[in-house]
Amino acid sequence: MMKKLYSFLPAIVIAGCSVLINSCAPEACVEETGSFLKASFYSYATKLKVPPDSLTLYGLNMQTNKIYNKTTQVQPALFPLNPSADNCTFVIRINGITDTIQFIYSSFPHLISKECGYTFYHTLDTFFYSKHTIDFIYRNSDNITTLNEENIRIFY
Amino acid sequence: MRRTYVYFTSLLILVNSGTLNAQDTVRFPLKVRVGIDFVGPGSYLWDKKNNFNLEGYISLDRSEKMAYVIEGGHLNYKYSQYNYDYQAKGIFIRAGVDFNLLKPDVSSGKYWAGLGLRYGLSSYSSETTSFQYKNYWDSVTSSVPRRTSMGHFLEVVPGVRTELFRNLSIGWSIRLKFLISAGGGKDLRPIYFPGYGTGSKAVNVGINYYLIWSIPFKIKTVITKPPAPEEPEETQVSTVNQTQQPFTN
Repeated sequence: MMKKLYSFLPAIVIAGCSVLINSCAPEACVEETGSFLKASFYSYATKLKVPPDSLTLYGLNMQTNKIYNKTTQVQPALFPLNPSADNCTFVIRINGITDTIQFIYSSFPHLISKECGYTFYHTLDTFFYSKHTIDFIYRNSDNITTLNEENIRIFY
Repeated sequence: MRRTYVYFTSLLILVNSGTLNAQDTVRFPLKVRVGIDFVGPGSYLWDKKNNFNLEGYISLDRSEKMAYVIEGGHLNYKYSQYNYDYQAKGIFIRAGVDFNLLKPDVSSGKYWAGLGLRYGLSSYSSETTSFQYKNYWDSVTSSVPRRTSMGHFLEVVPGVRTELFRNLSIGWSIRLKFLISAGGGKDLRPIYFPGYGTGSKAVNVGINYYLIWSIPFKIKTVITKPPAPEEPEETQVSTVNQTQQPFTN
């Protein structure tokens, strides 16, 4: 019996050492850290999901720093909200026609993981938009997180 | 006189058979144990004196197979990385049982190899003194104020222990920890909390190395082999009868 135990001990020692080494080794951040409002594009005529031929998106007064610049086949578009404000406005150009969308929301910190640290989640309160090319915006979910969950549908 | 002789012979046989049975029993000392972990203080010295974890345990043998265990400890934890600074401080207790998988004649109260099961409860305060978040609009610096929370978890604890000197043992165990609740809500789970470790992980692993002082409080006689089958007993009885026969005749 003791022989069996002794033959078993090295395995336990090796397992213990590997656990100790692993528990001390720093790990990399592999999770998604950005929380975005996710907007899918739909054709108002067909009610089908149709990405714009060209999409340009930037924050109001931030035209030098564009999120999308005449980008094709964007589906969904990711709108980064400003956690230090309770609203932000975006300029959106769909197939060359410009509209603006303003989002009103609240923000709160959320821990992603020890490796990644914190991000901000948001709760969408309401939104306003112009209707040059946008026909209608449908609200799907108020929770703006790092998860791949559609928040609004833009019909154009 | 003959009758006395027969009774004496029978008694001798009984005593002898008792002696044979005694070889199949072990006098197993049941003990109270007090252990102190030195992985925590060791890593405090090694890890730039940032995190101080001190823990120990008391166990009481219920039998040669099972012991009741209560563990307790204190953690003062600080952690910083490029995008946040975090600290947590608190106490924890764990309660459960240890099962000895060694046979009593192997264990003899000196060796232990087995499995423990624990329920853990942690009471702690935590604070993120600052964190940075950068996105399209700006770089934001914020904080999570200090708050008090409770965490719950379960553990499976395989390990080994051996006696170095009389009543002084060393032993170590691996802890497989399963989170029930970290406290702090789903958005502000603790980065690390006493007794469990990383609060954002559903399963954690830990290790302890204990120095243990044992106090025997009772000796239990444990039967290591079942009683011999009845057939040999019949042989003994026939021996008695043979002894008795000359007297009766």
